[in-house]
Amino acid sequence: MSKIVALVPLLPLLGFLINGLLRKQLSKTAAGIIGSGTVLGAFIISVLLFIDVRNGKTGVVEFFPFISFDTVKIPFAFLVDQLTAIYLLIITGVGFLIHVYSTAYMHDEEAPHFARYFAYLNLFVFSMLLLVLGANYVIMFIGWEGVGLCSYLLIGYWFKNPQYNNAAKKAFVMNRIGDLGFLLAVFWLLAKLSTVTYGEVFSADAIKALSQTDITIITLLFFVAATGKSAQIPLYTWLPDAMAGPTPVSALIHAATMVTAGIYLVARTNILFSMAETTQHVIAWIGVATALLAATIAVKQNDIKKVLAYSTVSQLGYMFLALGMGAYTAAVFHVMTHAFFKALLFLGSGSVIHAMGGEQDIRKMGGLAKHMKITYFTFLIGCLAIAGVPMFSGFFSKDAILLSAYEHNKIIWGIALLVAALTTFYMFRLLFLTFKGSFRGTEEQQHHLHESPRAMTIPLIILGVLSIVGGYISVPEVFVAGGDKLGQFLAPIIPLHTHAVSHMEEYALMGGTTLLVAIVIVFAWNKYKTYKEETNGAFGNLLENKWYVDELYNTIIVKPINWLAGFIENVLERSGIDAIVNGVGRAVQYSSRQLRLLQSGQVGSYVLLMIAGMVLLFVLQFFLKK
Amino acid sequence: MNAIIFSAIFGVVMMFSGVFFSSKQLIRNLAIGLMAALLVLNAAELQGYGLFDINLNNMLHFTSFGLVFNCIAFAATFIYLLLSARDIEQVGVNLAEYFALIFFILCGVGIATSFNSLLMLFLAIEIISIPLYILTGSDKRNLKSNEASLKYFLMGAFSTGIMLMGIALIYGATGTFSLDAIATATKGFETLLTGGLLLLLIAMSFKVSAAPFHFWTPDVYDGAPTVFTSFMATIVKAAIFAAFIKLFEKAYLPSVASWKAALTFIIVATLFIGNITAVFQQSVKRMLAYSSIAQAGFMLFALFGYSDFGKEGILLYAAAYSAATIGIFAILLKMSDYTFDGYNGLAKREPVLAFVNTIFLLSLAGIPLTAGFFAKYYMLVAAVKSGASLWLVIFAVLCAAVSVYYYFRVIQAMYFKTATTEDVTTAPVTINFKVILIVLAAIIVLLGLFPHWLFTKVYF
Repeated sequence: MSKIVALVPLLPLLGFLINGLLRKQLSKTAAGIIGSGTVLGAFIISVLLFIDVRNGKTGVVEFFPFISFDTVKIPFAFLVDQLTAIYLLIITGVGFLIHVYSTAYMHDEEAPHFARYFAYLNLFVFSMLLLVLGANYVIMFIGWEGVGLCSYLLIGYWFKNPQYNNAAKKAFVMNRIGDLGFLLAVFWLLAKLSTVTYGEVFSADAIKALSQTDITIITLLFFVAATGKSAQIPLYTWLPDAMAGPTPVSALIHAATMVTAGIYLVARTNILFSMAETTQHVIAWIGVATALLAATIAVKQNDIKKVLAYSTVSQLGYMFLALGMGAYTAAVFHVMTHAFFKALLFLGSGSVIHAMGGEQDIRKMGGLAKHMKITYFTFLIGCLAIAGVPMFSGFFSKDAILLSAYEHNKIIWGIALLVAALTTFYMFRLLFLTFKGSFRGTEEQQHHLHESPRAMTIPLIILGVLSIVGGYISVPEVFVAGGDKLGQFLAPIIPLHTHAVSHMEEYALMGGTTLLVAIVIVFAWNKYKTYKEETNGAFGNLLENKWYVDELYNTIIVKPINWLAGFIENVLERSGIDAIVNGVGRAVQYSSRQLRLLQSGQVGSYVLLMIAGMVLLFVLQFFLKK
Repeated sequence: MNAIIFSAIFGVVMMFSGVFFSSKQLIRNLAIGLMAALLVLNAAELQGYGLFDINLNNMLHFTSFGLVFNCIAFAATFIYLLLSARDIEQVGVNLAEYFALIFFILCGVGIATSFNSLLMLFLAIEIISIPLYILTGSDKRNLKSNEASLKYFLMGAFSTGIMLMGIALIYGATGTFSLDAIATATKGFETLLTGGLLLLLIAMSFKVSAAPFHFWTPDVYDGAPTVFTSFMATIVKAAIFAAFIKLFEKAYLPSVASWKAALTFIIVATLFIGNITAVFQQSVKRMLAYSSIAQAGFMLFALFGYSDFGKEGILLYAAAYSAATIGIFAILLKMSDYTFDGYNGLAKREPVLAFVNTIFLLSLAGIPLTAGFFAKYYMLVAAVKSGASLWLVIFAVLCAAVSVYYYFRVIQAMYFKTATTEDVTTAPVTINFKVILIVLAAIIVLLGLFPHWLFTKVYF
């Protein structure tokens, strides 16, 4: 493995530096070209690396010793293997498309802010690449923190709006809670093994040195980190708020790449996770619970991006469900297809918002299909893909997940099926309300409706194509023997396992799922082909208000902490610590005032005091000393 | 030897220059030139070019430690003259005599760093003290100056008496004035010897203004013309410390354990009184007087923890303390108002002065990256290594923390307060003055980064 791999993250870093430092000088065109071009360069190198990896050339590239103390040596090193190669392609590929899309989407921004946007975006790509390229957990953590920072910066990109800033802070804080888990896990590994390099941690010797409790704790801590980054219960609430950022950011960071870092972490550590049964159960249940919760909320949301956000949370839950079942390949597969269709959907929604002049409420849209054919068509592909309609990519990855759920736990499988139905429902509700029926916005908006420029539609088309064909890299065995190309490719990292489900059963499962999806689509069509004002029942309200989870967190966590902070500030700090500190000051002042009086200005009293001092010293020297 | 003989000769030259030259500028430049010559001559001796070879009957003994100390003192005086020679003119008409007295004091400094006999010590102290009495009262029409001079003289005479008494007792016990012989004196008169040494310790404590023998310091420093306070508080005090440490090395070290209690008492009292009393002062000049007491408390640690480390430390301390204090006094001299309020808004009026003054103050407070930090560090390490009670060290550090309060009051006034009245002014300063101050500040920072730079000459 040659050192050329360093260029992959270095190019976006270079873009970040140029755009960041020269943001006041660069024109928008230049900033856009630098921003997109560096990522394109990274993509091209990633493709070359991928070809190398396919030919079996994997390995670790060491650059320099990074941290070295005692027996612990943490090198700055990259690992290029099958899992990394796939992530590299997703990050740089989808990343490039979104950069190109952004050049048009963000065109109304002033030049310095435009360049700042691309600087952040480049920095994000750099961090994300570091995350997946690192050959040990510490390098991964640098990337892990870096993407968190960029996410914060980009959510708060329009920093003049205090609400957006709050959303950014929320995302950052929630992520930090998860990061604590990551750090503790790394420390635990260091304490037990004195190493954090993947190759050494996963070696048979190292695993022997870990007790079952160690493994359970480490994996649970890693999972805590994953819940933060990948928006799972209980740390998911930041992701819907993160929609405050520009839409391409939502597509890149909060759908396609960063939020799947948690899945990467677990897949990377699959050897340990497979040995921790408790953790597996926790992951599976949290995953399925998140999927269900988010899907129910999505049904009642009216903001086009919020629907997609909850959909993302729900799909991430799906991926964790797969991880919990030990179906790591299925999870990674879903990461990939999800990256395509969710990025597509987000960019599509961006195109809609662009056309609507910033409007995001789907109740005020309708009938857009006539005006924006490409957007509509690609959005439809995205919906079909996420719903899991056969022949589209989502079908294959969802099927793999459902199959493993069916195999392991019928209850989870049942819930997952329900989630699939809900997903189909809310996605087609979104599609029909937005693109079908009659237009419900203002005259002015209607007049303004137009298809987006080519820089936006071309990425949509490419992602649309990928959303269809992306699934064919892992065709179930029942259709084509040896069709699971992805599983075979990842086999060196994630051991292949064969399903213990008969072919008949598998066909039945697929058929049943497909039928369910079809019924739900028809149901949604009947319900939403013409828009009717909806009135919510009690349950509807509960869903529209997101199960009041934010309020719950406020009550049981934020308020007590605020109260405690207030208590510490007012009582401990003011009357405790302050009083001590001021007391010391006052005591010094007081003694200073008193001591000063010794200095009377009278030579006689000085001499007297000196004599007293001399006597004291004589007594000390001759009588008191032993 | 170069230093002693030439400083005496230069003193005489300066005395007569007043008769032959009427131009103040000429006299001033002559003084500065002679000072430079003296520094060079002393440095030459350090390099092995002693011009005189006189049989001293072992009364004086020149060591590289003493010569390095001379270098520091002379260099400090040189800088002091560069900065403040004009201010010396302001004091009175007898300009040439002031310079002559300064050279005589330097002669005393030369002896103080090289004496090997108690007689020479006595001579050195007196040669230093008597010109100081005169300088203190040099502002003849100022009542405060006269009062200070008289007080200084009275109490100085008192301490001289104590010192002589001590020397006499020691002579009685040992039959010699030689330092070498005191250490190896025949036993039998321990009480006499201890009493003599204790009196000597008290007299020296008086001279370095250690509590409870410090009472003269605030009044004298405050009353004396500021330009001479600066000289007294820095070069003179450091030189007496050099004498003190030399005396201690020879006379007290053999029975050092028995002196720790007395020393601890003096150190604690000095640190406490110096630092605490400084807090309440309203005049920067008087605050600096107490600060010099407080700093003496730290320098006494060199005796307490006597070792090579302590010896290096006292060199660094002398350099750091002298440089910073000379700088602060030089700036103080330019102020029309000596209270803390006088410094209000200095950063706006004279940003350079405010900045270098900040560095000097930080150094005195012992903030890292300045020489003052390492000076204090060496002192405390020396004490810890010699087995000092940890409480003593902690006490010293706490006192240093208190010192931050009054040093930073000046910084606060310079940067964060604005002058309220129009009549707060600063005398105009020349560009040369600023450059020298910047050099001085640079030296402090450099010594704060590379303290070893100063010690290389001591060993060989």
